[in-house]
Amino acid sequence: MRYFARKFGFFVATLWAVVTLNFLIPRLQPGDPAEIMVKKLAGKDAQLDPAQVRAMRAMLGAPDGSLVQQYGTYLGELVRGNFGLSYSYYPFKVTEVIGQAFWWTVILVTVTQALSFVVGVVLGAYAAWRRNSRFDSVVTLGSTFLGTLQPFWIALLLLYVFGYSLGWFPTSGGYEESTPGLNFPFVQEAVSHSFLPALALLIVTPIGWILGMRNTMIMNLGEDYIRLAKAKGLPDRVVALKYAARNALLPSVTGFALALGGVLGGAILVEQAFDYPGLGRLMGEAVENKDYPLLQTLMLLTTVGVLVANLVADLLYGVLDPRARRAQS
Amino acid sequence: MSLLDVSDLSVRYEPKSHRPLDAVQHVSFSIEAGEFVGLIGESGSGKTTLGTALLRLLQRPGRISAGSITFDGTDITHLHEDELRDLRWRDISTVFQSSMNALNPVTRVEAQFRDVIEQHSRLRGEAVTTRIRELFDMVIIDHRFISAYPHELSGGMRQRVNLALALALEPKFVLLDEPTTGLDVVVQHSILENVRRLQAEQGFAVLFISHDIGTVLDLSDRILVMYAGRIVEEQPAAALLRDPLHPYSKGLLGSYGDPRAETVRITYVPGRPPDLSLEIRGCSFAPRCPERIARCTEVDPPLLPMAAGRAACHVAQLQRDEGGAGEHGEPKRTFDGPQFVKTAEESTQALRGDVVLTVDHVSKVFTRRRGLTVQHTEAVTDASFVLRKGEVTALVGQSGSGKSTLARMITGVDSPTTGRIVFHGPNGDQEVAGFRGRSLRDYRSNVQMVFQDPYSSINPAKRLGYVLARPLANYHGLKGDALRDRVEELLETVALTPADRFVNRYGYELSGGQRQRVVIAKALAVEPDIIVADEPISSLDVSIRAEILELLGGLVQTKDVGILYITHDLLSARMLADEVIVLNNGRIVEQGQTLAVIRSPQDAYTRTLIEAIPNPF
Ligand SMILES: Nc1ncnc2c1ncn2[C@@H]1O[C@H](COP(=O)(O)OP(=O)(O)OP(=O)(O)O)[C@@H](O)[C@H]1O
Ligand code: SF4
Ligand SMILES: [Mg+2]
Repeated sequence: MRYFARKFGFFVATLWAVVTLNFLIPRLQPGDPAEIMVKKLAGKDAQLDPAQVRAMRAMLGAPDGSLVQQYGTYLGELVRGNFGLSYSYYPFKVTEVIGQAFWWTVILVTVTQALSFVVGVVLGAYAAWRRNSRFDSVVTLGSTFLGTLQPFWIALLLLYVFGYSLGWFPTSGGYEESTPGLNFPFVQEAVSHSFLPALALLIVTPIGWILGMRNTMIMNLGEDYIRLAKAKGLPDRVVALKYAARNALLPSVTGFALALGGVLGGAILVEQAFDYPGLGRLMGEAVENKDYPLLQTLMLLTTVGVLVANLVADLLYGVLDPRARRAQS
Repeated sequence: MSLLDVSDLSVRYEPKSHRPLDAVQHVSFSIEAGEFVGLIGESGSGKTTLGTALLRLLQRPGRISAGSITFDGTDITHLHEDELRDLRWRDISTVFQSSMNALNPVTRVEAQFRDVIEQHSRLRGEAVTTRIRELFDMVIIDHRFISAYPHELSGGMRQRVNLALALALEPKFVLLDEPTTGLDVVVQHSILENVRRLQAEQGFAVLFISHDIGTVLDLSDRILVMYAGRIVEEQPAAALLRDPLHPYSKGLLGSYGDPRAETVRITYVPGRPPDLSLEIRGCSFAPRCPERIARCTEVDPPLLPMAAGRAACHVAQLQRDEGGAGEHGEPKRTFDGPQFVKTAEESTQALRGDVVLTVDHVSKVFTRRRGLTVQHTEAVTDASFVLRKGEVTALVGQSGSGKSTLARMITGVDSPTTGRIVFHGPNGDQEVAGFRGRSLRDYRSNVQMVFQDPYSSINPAKRLGYVLARPLANYHGLKGDALRDRVEELLETVALTPADRFVNRYGYELSGGQRQRVVIAKALAVEPDIIVADEPISSLDVSIRAEILELLGGLVQTKDVGILYITHDLLSARMLADEVIVLNNGRIVEQGQTLAVIRSPQDAYTRTLIEAIPNPF
């Protein structure tokens, strides 16, 4: 229990640090933080756009009162979910704009990542168990080759082949005429629109898991407890799953959180290729339109996302590895 | 028909990066039901390989290349895995060498009993739990550890659990591959007692692998001696002790001495075993054998029945033939090799040396903060003793008794909580805890450490010349020819001769014993007043151990240095040390001239330690 409490405490502390830095950094220089921020992002010589400053100020808070008071207001706004107004979608709130895109990305990334992880770990474990078999060679060589490709590039290829040439799947957007919500036409459209972006991610992301799992598993197969499990005359299936794979899984779980940052990067590009209505596309738009409040919030959100993923991985690791629970408590 | 029949068995490793090597060569022996057989031989002689082959657990690049294994009437040499599975654990089980890692680290101990019991028996549910409780009682472990994870058990407990696991299904045959190597002597002793009792009660047959002839003689009915992949002698334990046939067996026996004798004498086998990947002509032991005759380097001696068993030695065979004794001399019981002798007289002398370091009422309390509670652990309590030049002082105690904490304070890494450690050096008396910066660096050069593991103490990727030259250049500012001469001199001191052949070799090319010599040479480079040797031989082979003991013993006499020898093994303390300090739970419970302490221990704990010394004689 101590382990979990510690991990959670650590998460809260990091989250607080991130949020506070987000508050402090614009205020390190004298003057109006909103103006400084806009200047900095737009370039020194650029004309100061009052609309932008206004939007930014809505997010950062007005520069009056003491720093402590400002900080209080800032935290209050954060808790209430008030991140200011979007500049490009003025006068919509940033939260509303993000809310539209949020689930698209979260579902896409979660589903593809979970699938990749499971597929990768299973293929890797099986390849290691049947080391040097034909299956192993095909999987290892195949992964090494596919691993050199970029998701963005694959996205373009898929788009060209299945979208434009064969016309099996829609090439852009998230849905057509249906109204978003939990109704059949919408879900069907959303799934068919998400299929290619998901596929683009799914082709590349399992590779890390396959190779990682295969390596750790091969290393673990030399361990005494595996030899003992064999000496015990347990069926291969039990030795492979309960003894070998169960242990080999541990480094992969830690890797899962670490890899997530990279995955988000890939997802952004893929979303842009498919014009998919998720956070990635939104981020692209925000950059293009110099919508700093939006951009700022998206960054904050991404950081929080990575933190949450880390927390989940840590907690999961604690469940899977009894040694971790004790060693650090 | 025997329970286990091994006939002409050979095992070959065919690694990709190396020449193929026959780790086991034409081995034949058998084990009767309920018999306790010991298998002994030095590191690399193929014991584990043979055991693994018997269990049919060899993995690539190893395979059985010839011969057969028959278990209980079934030829299992090439039996299919599916058929083997029925034999496994129900009939044949094992405790692995250094099996600290033999339990799955991520599941509870209970599950690892349950899966195998349910696999091979009809027991289910509560009945399995009852059986596990019974097994834990057998190895004397509290039931609450049934639901523990492996890392929550101490080394000794883990080994007991492994033993309980091996007996879970009442097997007919158990292979024990060095089940206690690496554990504390006292723990080792109690586990082996446990094995002996259970074997007598339950009547399973055992093949007990060890490199320690003392324990093997202590436990076994019959002993197999293995050298360079072959069985070179087989005899009942008592006969082997009384009348060893093969010179190698004599060498192994010679590594044991009676610690209670006025003068202890141990012999050791010089040299290293042959490279098994090369063709060997004649007897593989010939280069190290003091009884060698012309025929030995020509003809490979076959394993022939003689005396109470079998042996593979020309001389033994000739001596025991009708009338052979006259021509080839009487059979000898001893090994005419290099000797290491320690007399009580020497110790008396040594105790008159100059004091170089005084430990004066030293205590050490570690404070550990855990959340809001503060824990105090008293690692050392009120310790007082002195170290003298030309003397070896042994610090003996179980793991956790505070030995290393004392060593760290002596070397200036930690400082005492109360009390003083005073160094009587060239600059008069100085308190060790007071050294800072430069003075600490100077002090450290006066006090050198030699650690347990020679493999991690020197950089394997550097040439020995470089390893030794660095401290010489740093502390003595030696350069050029003077530096080279001194390096060679050091190598000669630790008997790595001829020195010019070793200067350009890399650490990884050396055997464990050679590496430990380099570590000692490195310690000597700065001409220290004190050497603190923390278990310097416990990771080494028996024959190498004697070599290192001899080297350290020689150093004390010729160089003006005092040695603090830290160990958990009283026998080696007797061999090396003039004075012994017995530490229990951070307190010195007994202190005095080694022989006197061993002959008439005053403290109960010292007696336990003495009882734990295997005594085959
Ligand atoms: N997997 C392997 N591949 C190649 N050679 C091996 C392998 N395992 C062992 N050997 C070699 O086989 C020989 C016998 O090794 P083995 O482990 O059986 O010795 P041992 O008598 O058990 O030694 P120890 O007392 O150190 O345990 C050694 O020369 C070793 O280097
Ligand atoms: S055969 Fe010769 S060399 Fe070999 S052990 Fe016997 S006497 Fe020594
Ligand atoms: Mg071995």
